[in-house]
Amino acid sequence: MDHAVIQLIVSGALMGLVYALVAYGFQLTYATSKSINFGQGELVMLSAFVSLTLTNTGLPYYLMIPGGLLFGVIAGLFVERAGVRLALEQKSEGWILMTIILGLFGISAAENIWGRDDRPFPTPIPTEPIQFFGVSITPLEISVAVGVVLIMVVIELFKRKTLLGKAFEAVSADRDAAELMGISATRTIMLSYGLSGLVAALAGILVSPITTVGPTMASALVLKAFSVAVVAGLESGFGVVIVGLFLGSLESLTSFYVGSGWREAPGLVLLILALAIRPTGIFGKAVIRKV
Amino acid sequence: MLKRLILIRGIEVLMVLLLASIPLVVNNSFVLGLLTLLAIYGILLIGLDITVGYLGLVNLAQAAFLGLGAYAGALTVTQLGFDMLSALLVSTVIGLVMGGLLAFPSLRLEGPQFALATLSFSALSATVLNEWESLTLGAQGLQLHRPPLFGFVLDSKGFYWLCLCFLGLVWMAMRNLLSSQWGRAFEALRDSPIATDAMGIGTYRHKVTAFALGSGLGGLAGGLYAFNFEYLQPHVFVYELMVILLLGVVLGGRKSLWGAFVGAVLIVLLPNLLSNRLLFQIFSATGFLLALGAGGMALYQKRTKLFQAAAPIIAMGLLVTGSFTVQNTEDWRKAIFALMLFSVVVGLPEGLMGFASRFLSRIFSIDPESFAPPSLLEEVLVRKDVDGAPLLQIQDLKCYFGGIKAVDGVSLTVAAGTIHGLIGPNGSGKSTLVNLVSGLYVPTGGTIQFQGRPLVQGSLFAVAQQGISRTFQNLQLFSELTALDNVMVSMKGYYRSPLPLVLLGLAKRSEKRAEADSLALLEMVGLSDQVRVPAKDLPYGAQRFLEIARAVARRPTLIILDEPAAGLAHPDVITLLGIIRRIHQQGITVILIEHHMDVVSELCDTVTVLDGGRIIAEGIPDDIRRNPLVIEAYLGKGSEPAAPAAERPGTLEPVPA
Repeated sequence: MDHAVIQLIVSGALMGLVYALVAYGFQLTYATSKSINFGQGELVMLSAFVSLTLTNTGLPYYLMIPGGLLFGVIAGLFVERAGVRLALEQKSEGWILMTIILGLFGISAAENIWGRDDRPFPTPIPTEPIQFFGVSITPLEISVAVGVVLIMVVIELFKRKTLLGKAFEAVSADRDAAELMGISATRTIMLSYGLSGLVAALAGILVSPITTVGPTMASALVLKAFSVAVVAGLESGFGVVIVGLFLGSLESLTSFYVGSGWREAPGLVLLILALAIRPTGIFGKAVIRKV
Repeated sequence: MLKRLILIRGIEVLMVLLLASIPLVVNNSFVLGLLTLLAIYGILLIGLDITVGYLGLVNLAQAAFLGLGAYAGALTVTQLGFDMLSALLVSTVIGLVMGGLLAFPSLRLEGPQFALATLSFSALSATVLNEWESLTLGAQGLQLHRPPLFGFVLDSKGFYWLCLCFLGLVWMAMRNLLSSQWGRAFEALRDSPIATDAMGIGTYRHKVTAFALGSGLGGLAGGLYAFNFEYLQPHVFVYELMVILLLGVVLGGRKSLWGAFVGAVLIVLLPNLLSNRLLFQIFSATGFLLALGAGGMALYQKRTKLFQAAAPIIAMGLLVTGSFTVQNTEDWRKAIFALMLFSVVVGLPEGLMGFASRFLSRIFSIDPESFAPPSLLEEVLVRKDVDGAPLLQIQDLKCYFGGIKAVDGVSLTVAAGTIHGLIGPNGSGKSTLVNLVSGLYVPTGGTIQFQGRPLVQGSLFAVAQQGISRTFQNLQLFSELTALDNVMVSMKGYYRSPLPLVLLGLAKRSEKRAEADSLALLEMVGLSDQVRVPAKDLPYGAQRFLEIARAVARRPTLIILDEPAAGLAHPDVITLLGIIRRIHQQGITVILIEHHMDVVSELCDTVTVLDGGRIIAEGIPDDIRRNPLVIEAYLGKGSEPAAPAAERPGTLEPVPA
């Protein structure tokens, strides 16, 4: 393989980590409530815009990050309250439509508040490429990879090591049994949506310096995150990272060899193929139906 | 009966005549354009309602099927010179086939996967339409001329009438379909996919068929769309249109042809509504007042939760505020759609037509259709001669869940024409055994033979088709359907009516026979006077009996009753005994899982006792009752083998496993 191909694979894979991060946000809420936020992409975008606004007010980069994350958490909680809770109470799949609606509102709000144009996102992290064995990577790209892995490790540790995290795991394993043990499923689901919003906000902050910020910045991103989540399985922890890396490099190759208009195609095809061949995902487990 | 016909059909005919005559009176090309679009969107939304309304799934691909149908129609005309009807046929077939291809993988799981797959499909088809420039000319757009119909080139008036004809045809076909066994099956599988499979109806294939049909209508609408505008661009058929279509179906009213029509009217008028500020203000203020009134009323009567009442008020309040403050409403169109859709989904889930039909049914009380006289039970369940030969032979059957050996090497023979009891303490593997035989679980090892042939394993549907029917310990009724419909659904596999005949309305006779037979079965279980009651509103005992009637409706050779007496009051238990005897008299073999020892002693010829996934005893009920192993399994070691205690183990374990 020549260097150009390796270069394509590496930079694609780094983008793939962002898909993995957004997909991880789906897993968090799916675990507790069997629901996901179809407007997650809009959450990424809104968080990016809010972070950009915070930066523009003169806040230093490293103080802006907590602000952006806090917005993500609040937005995630809002989605749970306004779009998901009622449907879950009615045991319907209404949350699909509701979260789509909230996302649509988010796009429209962003278009009117911040405008339809893409804007650059300033970052103190240098963007001059460094050479690794003939492959050039920017420190910015490395920061994305580090950020993604770091937040996933922190959340997984939180789930395993803290009492609150154990409640999270308990509701994921068996909601009714957890409720009987005095764990409030509603609060745990809120927690999962908060965390999912946090993850989305981080994804927005990490990816914006590379892709620029605009109302439609995440509409392609979220489709690929959906693919990653379905292909890996909505229940599998780190499987999303592997599938994310794979999809990222595959799509970077596709866009180079077939044409940039086709770069979304592999993810979409993979999603449908995965449902045909292994509907529970590569790393997912089959569920036993009970009657 | 006559009143019913006049009211329901009369309004439909009147509406068609009204719509058809507008262009004769009003000579305005703008109005004509709106009307044509209305007919096209009507077809599109009726198709979308099949998945969104009847199957209860969020379908995000209908706009894509509109696009694919449009391009298919346009390309066959520009490239191959097809005439109107054959081009429309191609559009429809493209929708059907692509819909089927998408449905096969995406409907295998329940959950968000279906919505995700349709979303991906939409994005993918947009990519293809944009990028396959050699064929579609991409973003540049595709120009075409309306092809001739039987040699005549239609002007816009003629084309409108053609669209209206198609809407009428689709309307009639869908009405035939939805009032048939097929429509009933669509509704049933939403309530309980497991029971639909267990009744031999095939959940998966019905879902795929329904989705493909809806997509086919999308394709047809697409073809008409292409010949209406004579110019196509890929970016029209995207996400925003999809949301508008969903808004149409939900706001109009799900599961209703009229709902789809009202939705179409709304979508057609929407752009005009947004462009006129005053109209928009009036519209949003009306919406706000409605939300306020309805929400306040519901809260006052304590019919609803705070969120359900307050959220639409807030959303509509935002809309009103926006209608006065926003500079350009066009910039906020997505938010406007979102607010409207949000209010409707939360505050008016049954849609405008659902809301209206509640009022209309109060004003015009229409007698429900009268039923055919019930068939004779002897004709429904033709008495089978049974010889006592082995019917079901289970050899060394095993089922492990991880380390748990739920069934561990069970061998068992059920003789034809017997009532075979299966008892055992909670967790002894009875239900797992039944789930293995009926195909819900795949065995870890062992064989099952039915009528001397190996039984298909791991498919409820296939097992049901071979003549094994079952009831469920935790009731799996089609709760939204009436008692009669619950039984009739189950006859779908028996009175087969091919889909094309159903669409043309030529399957009414088998429909009537299924109805008569179902009435006979309901009479058998004592529910004759509750046939119109939705299953969820029946008393608990009646629900148990209804499940039995539904299982018998399959005309099974073997029926498995999973704890039919669980939770029944004493008088109901007596009724149950009568029902089981009646079924048995007609030569149907019965496997009875039961905790009530008195029921078992009363009915069973043979009893098998399970404990810890293994058989610990088998024999006639009297012997079983005295068997020390059985007593030990139920009462533990060291218990006195006192007959009265062992006689009613059921009283010891009132809670079903």
